[in-house]
Amino acid sequence: MEGVADPRILIPARSTSRRTQVVVEQGIKAFFGGNALVAVVVLALITIFLFREGFGFFGQNLANLRLYRQAGLEYVDIIRGVSMEHESLSRKLSEIRLREVRTMEKRNVPLEEINAKLAPFDQFASSFSDTAETLHSLVSDLTEKASALKEKLFAQAELLAQRSQLERAGAQAEAARIVVPEVDRTAALASLHQGAATYESVSADMTAKLYSLFAAAPPLPDPAAQKNFEQWKTRTREYLAALPAASEKLRTWSSEAEIPWYRSLSSFLFGREWITASFWQDWYGIIPLLVGSIMVSIVALVIAVPLGVSSAIYVSEIASRHEKRLIKPYIEFISAIPSVVLGFFGIAVVGQAVRAASQSHFFKWVSFFPISERLNIFTAGCLLALMAVPTIFTLSEDALRNVPRGFKEASYALGANRLQTIGRVLVPASLSGIVSAILLGLGRVIGETMVVLLCAGNRIAIPDFTQGLGAIFQPVHTMTGIIAQEMGEVVRGSTHYRALFMVGLVLFTITLGINYLAQKLVTRFRMSIG
Amino acid sequence: MVTVLDMPETTSPITLNQPAPAPEPEVERGMIEIDRLGFAYGNHQVLHDVSLSIPARAVTAFIGPSGCGKTTLLRCLNRMNDLIDSARITGGAIRIEGVDINAPSVDVVDLRRRVGMVFQKSNPFPKSIYDNVAYGLRIAGVTKRALIDEAVERSLRSAALWDEVKDRLHVSGYGLSGGQQQRLCIARALAVEPEIVLMDEPCSALDPIATAKVEELIRQLKQQYTIVIVTHNMQQAGRCSDHTAFFYLGRLIEFDLTTKIFSNPGQRQTEEYITGRFG
Repeated sequence: MEGVADPRILIPARSTSRRTQVVVEQGIKAFFGGNALVAVVVLALITIFLFREGFGFFGQNLANLRLYRQAGLEYVDIIRGVSMEHESLSRKLSEIRLREVRTMEKRNVPLEEINAKLAPFDQFASSFSDTAETLHSLVSDLTEKASALKEKLFAQAELLAQRSQLERAGAQAEAARIVVPEVDRTAALASLHQGAATYESVSADMTAKLYSLFAAAPPLPDPAAQKNFEQWKTRTREYLAALPAASEKLRTWSSEAEIPWYRSLSSFLFGREWITASFWQDWYGIIPLLVGSIMVSIVALVIAVPLGVSSAIYVSEIASRHEKRLIKPYIEFISAIPSVVLGFFGIAVVGQAVRAASQSHFFKWVSFFPISERLNIFTAGCLLALMAVPTIFTLSEDALRNVPRGFKEASYALGANRLQTIGRVLVPASLSGIVSAILLGLGRVIGETMVVLLCAGNRIAIPDFTQGLGAIFQPVHTMTGIIAQEMGEVVRGSTHYRALFMVGLVLFTITLGINYLAQKLVTRFRMSIG
Repeated sequence: MVTVLDMPETTSPITLNQPAPAPEPEVERGMIEIDRLGFAYGNHQVLHDVSLSIPARAVTAFIGPSGCGKTTLLRCLNRMNDLIDSARITGGAIRIEGVDINAPSVDVVDLRRRVGMVFQKSNPFPKSIYDNVAYGLRIAGVTKRALIDEAVERSLRSAALWDEVKDRLHVSGYGLSGGQQQRLCIARALAVEPEIVLMDEPCSALDPIATAKVEELIRQLKQQYTIVIVTHNMQQAGRCSDHTAFFYLGRLIEFDLTTKIFSNPGQRQTEEYITGRFG
């Protein structure tokens, strides 16, 4: 302000001051505008990068699926499915035996007597698993053949890609020097196809053996176990009835059948297996991860919503001023705990405590206890609930506090007690605010990485929902966890790398949707109160 | 320039500052007796030694400048001040039909059902018109649909709102105009069949036409209810009340028939306030 420096002129000369003012104003505008622009551009670039890397997945995955068919892996997997089903039936038998032993132990039957009683059953079980010997060896034989073919085809594709890259770069001479070996796919596939005949003889043999085995099935002493055993028999009969269907599939299977483009998307979105870096076939199915994330979030919300909303109601309506001063900052303080510390606490304390509790005598009546895994959905959910409580609490408390005082007074003046006022006026009036608080809590939970990585157990599997509530005591892997865990190890540009980006995109879409919904609810809530 | 409309001829003056003439037989005692009441928020004394006897089935207006304690006194009558942490009664008592309302044996929920209240800012719940009126009955445990239907219609008729809303009972109360909303709040208060209705500046947010409607309503309601109204509007007090109490700095200055207060006030401060010299 040079004008002020001159004592004789009270109002600074207009022309200079105006010019500087304009410059200053423009500078300020440029500064703030520039910052906003940088933020927007960076976010846009991130989103574009995410989409670009992610969408490359579909082409690569389609090639991956085509190779699976062309190399005959699919063919082998049809037979493998039959053999795996047999194994699972065999496992079922040992489960039935285990349960039987437990019930007898409860009745204090000595061990020798148990073994003696179950001897015919054991005999039955071992002859059952023997019936699949030839089937298993057929599978391992075909597996070797198919994977050898796949490796050759893969190497060929690599070399072809290398050559075309060189050609595009203009290095024709070098490109010509690369020798691409011919792969005799027809011969290799023909030798695979012989498996069909073997399979048919094996399955006929197995069916005959099993039916004769059924005739001699031993009875079980316990009625409950007997019932399970009968169920098992029905399942096995169904299995046997399905054997010809597999052989029909083998006969009609062709390595040349086209794989439609949408399989690349559907195998990702609906695929139930996430298998990477496998010698056999990689599968990128998001379902186990999605289910893991959703299960963990549900458990977290089931715990966090009552805690967060009730404490918000308590603080805004019931607590004395003194209590308010204590509780509010305390709960908000939880959000200051770094998630890695919470995760650590989860491993060391919560997981341990849950397992110890499940083993205690007190909880013996719970059917799925004792649990075997210390790190599971429940442990992660508990910890995530801790992270969601401050969000839900703070925003719900805001919503409740913003309910006009008139509602409360009118309710009391009509003779309502405190509970009625809270339940019939305050909560309904702030409901959309509370729901959006819960949604934002959910957004926080589903995007949280460190805690689930440390506490969810990281087993890529869909929980076994047949166990009912027991499913929440099983380990899972989550979308956030898998990205954090695998992104550091994958080869840049590989199918796996792009699959992780796709997982990121799905996560992004989910959190975007949740936040959008919450925003919409908040606006509606403001309008209804305003 | 004060015109007093609809002045009833029957009610007798009840005064405190002057020796009252022998009461006429139909009103031997006020419905609400305020006996040397003192009231404070924390250390701030708001009401000093207020004694007042409010007659049944008549409109009593509280007037006075802002901060004189009239609203506080009104809120003492249904113990709405219980909601404020630091509020406390420092002396005296309030008796409704002879019962001390601050006695520990009195159920405050029951008291508030008998003493309804209409607030300065219309505050319908974010519910339908029907649910607004039914609220008081529902929280009192009335579940019979027919009973509620009947009470809703009766209250809306009493509040002169029935004809305007009978076709849209199940739409939100927010769709109504300001005056209608205030009458909805009156209907809501009437639904629980109170004996006394307290009104805290019920027309302060309304335009003149809506105000006229509410005032007309107040004059009708006094056939059945004892009404206490706080108002800043001198003309309003003149138009619709039978008795007027003038407060200043937490003290009751004068209480008399409205006609008397407005034509021939006994105290100089009353006269100065009414004629607009302060306040």
